Amino acid sequence: MREVAATMAHLPVREDETLLAEGTPTENLYVVVSGAFRLVRMMADGRRQITGFAFPGDILGQTDGRELTYSAESLEPGLVCRFPNGYLDRASLRHPEIKDQLIESGQAELHKARDHIVLLGKTSADERVFAFLKMIAGRTGHGLDGEAFYLPMSRQDMADYLGLRMETLSRTLTALRKAGKLSEVTGRLIRFAEAEGAVPASA
Amino acid sequence: MNPIWKKYLSATVPRYTSYPSALQFDKLEAGSRRAALDRIDNYDPISLYIHIPFCAKLCWYCGCNMRVENRYERASRYTTALVEEIRQVAGTMAGRGRLTQVHFGGGTPNYLSAEDLAQILDAVEIGFGLTDGTPVAMEFDPRLMNEKQIAAFTAMGVNRASLGIQDFDPFVQTAINRVQSFELIDACVSHLREAGVTDVGFDLLYGLPRQKEPSFRETLRKTVHLGPDRISLFGYAHIPDRLRHQRLIDPEDLPDPISRSQLRDMAADYFQDAGYLPIGFDHFARPDAPIARAMMANRLNRNFQGFTEDPANIVIGFGASAISSFPALHAQNEKDIAAYSASVMKGVDPAARGTKITPRDQKIGAWIKQLLCTGEARLSDYAAVLDLQEADLDRIRSRLDVFIRDGVVSLDGDTLRMREEARVLARTVAAIFDPYVKGAASFASLAV
Repeated sequence: MREVAATMAHLPVREDETLLAEGTPTENLYVVVSGAFRLVRMMADGRRQITGFAFPGDILGQTDGRELTYSAESLEPGLVCRFPNGYLDRASLRHPEIKDQLIESGQAELHKARDHIVLLGKTSADERVFAFLKMIAGRTGHGLDGEAFYLPMSRQDMADYLGLRMETLSRTLTALRKAGKLSEVTGRLIRFAEAEGAVPASA
Repeated sequence: MNPIWKKYLSATVPRYTSYPSALQFDKLEAGSRRAALDRIDNYDPISLYIHIPFCAKLCWYCGCNMRVENRYERASRYTTALVEEIRQVAGTMAGRGRLTQVHFGGGTPNYLSAEDLAQILDAVEIGFGLTDGTPVAMEFDPRLMNEKQIAAFTAMGVNRASLGIQDFDPFVQTAINRVQSFELIDACVSHLREAGVTDVGFDLLYGLPRQKEPSFRETLRKTVHLGPDRISLFGYAHIPDRLRHQRLIDPEDLPDPISRSQLRDMAADYFQDAGYLPIGFDHFARPDAPIARAMMANRLNRNFQGFTEDPANIVIGFGASAISSFPALHAQNEKDIAAYSASVMKGVDPAARGTKITPRDQKIGAWIKQLLCTGEARLSDYAAVLDLQEADLDRIRSRLDVFIRDGVVSLDGDTLRMREEARVLARTVAAIFDPYVKGAASFASLAV
């Protein structure tokens, strides 16, 4: 995929841009090169539900030709690689492994949703928030070496994704710092306590 | 109301807040609710109903499952069971389902201390995900409200309030044992508004003892003056044989059926003149209220709480007597507080009674819901559900004849349409299409 991606032009994405809009037909797939996205679904009551986040290496879009079941909105400036659906079909003739990746990517949102449900199934706010931070660290490759890292999403996005009230999220982050699981919580800047940072994310 | 509709006023029909109605409930197989919960998918909209059965005082008109409690410890113990039930159900769900609304009903939800409410909402948050935008609605007894309580409850996420008003006239209030001053209600509404509650509802009753047009008009005037976003207007159902405490109401004081309907019509006109939109047949709302928006977008729904903007077709009920509703099952928790609590603490599913909903029931229920929510439905859709032949349809048309002649409904080709002023009779019309209602069946509450 990287080989194919290398041949494609990189498309800049501004902060707060809707790359994909729910309900529109899909003509392209996008590979995230840099930046971060939130995946959003409109629920039956008109409220938005954040179902996941996408980071470099993730593929956005659907190959099933149906209308998109989610929107992808950029959290920060970044770069994506755009593939017309047809082009990928042809490229996969030469690189059959791409086909597998495509089938996989068609399910990307499903995987994210599964991660989401696993997080929501955690039975305490501490566990839920900590597992989320590990997941973000694991996905972005930052913060696992005891270095501080920036969360690309706002506290509001985090609270919505985790099904927590803002007040609970703030309280939980403070509690995690006091319990020595996080050594720094300054706005979006997070640092795992060293003993925790060595453990790879499982979520 | 048209005087010739008088004959429909004596008909007693189900409330159709569910289909099949609660009259069809029977003992459930063990594990029924659990099996229904297992079928909920990741992002299926679900809403929660949480029943708080305690009240500080007995209102003589009450038809709810409640009990007057003067020892608060009992409410605390009940909270423990409630939190346990929420945890057990959440454990089954393991993160599935997407919460659309939390509704606290009673009894009197604001009988609870802020500490106990906090425990319940924490359990909901951990179990089902609760964000700052999630609608959390609560029924309030104004006599137990104060600025401190409102501040505490809203800080925890309560953002919609329904106030039990019934009638502002002290003479009526005395006859129903619910005395609450206009000044109190005025202060409650102000505090709610200051706390940022943008959806305030008033619950009013017509047909109460001693209610007369001039004083009821004054109640309507005061209501509009305080400007609630939503108003529910229900008819008082006097069934002293079933509800013993209603015997405290002097039947001599009750308005006759015609006066009842005149009080209702007067209220409906008054609210519409004041800019409220009629919602279904027993709600009124400002055009910008969520329930009015839902109606205009043609997605008004009806569940055990009545007409609602909540789109969830799955309601999980917690607490004594609470009803859970799934696509294929209605399940009601044990009504007795002690029995309910004992079951939950033993880890036994408290949903002991209910009814399965067959695919046929689902379709009839959806058809009736449409008639009630929108005031119209197509006969051919109904015929398709029941696989009816032309002869059967003719029989239905002939049963509709009297309603058509009396101007209650019209049959516009295939479309059965309630006359706007007759919407309040929608349940009586729906009963014609309800196979569970046999002949001149006379059960459940008075229709209007």
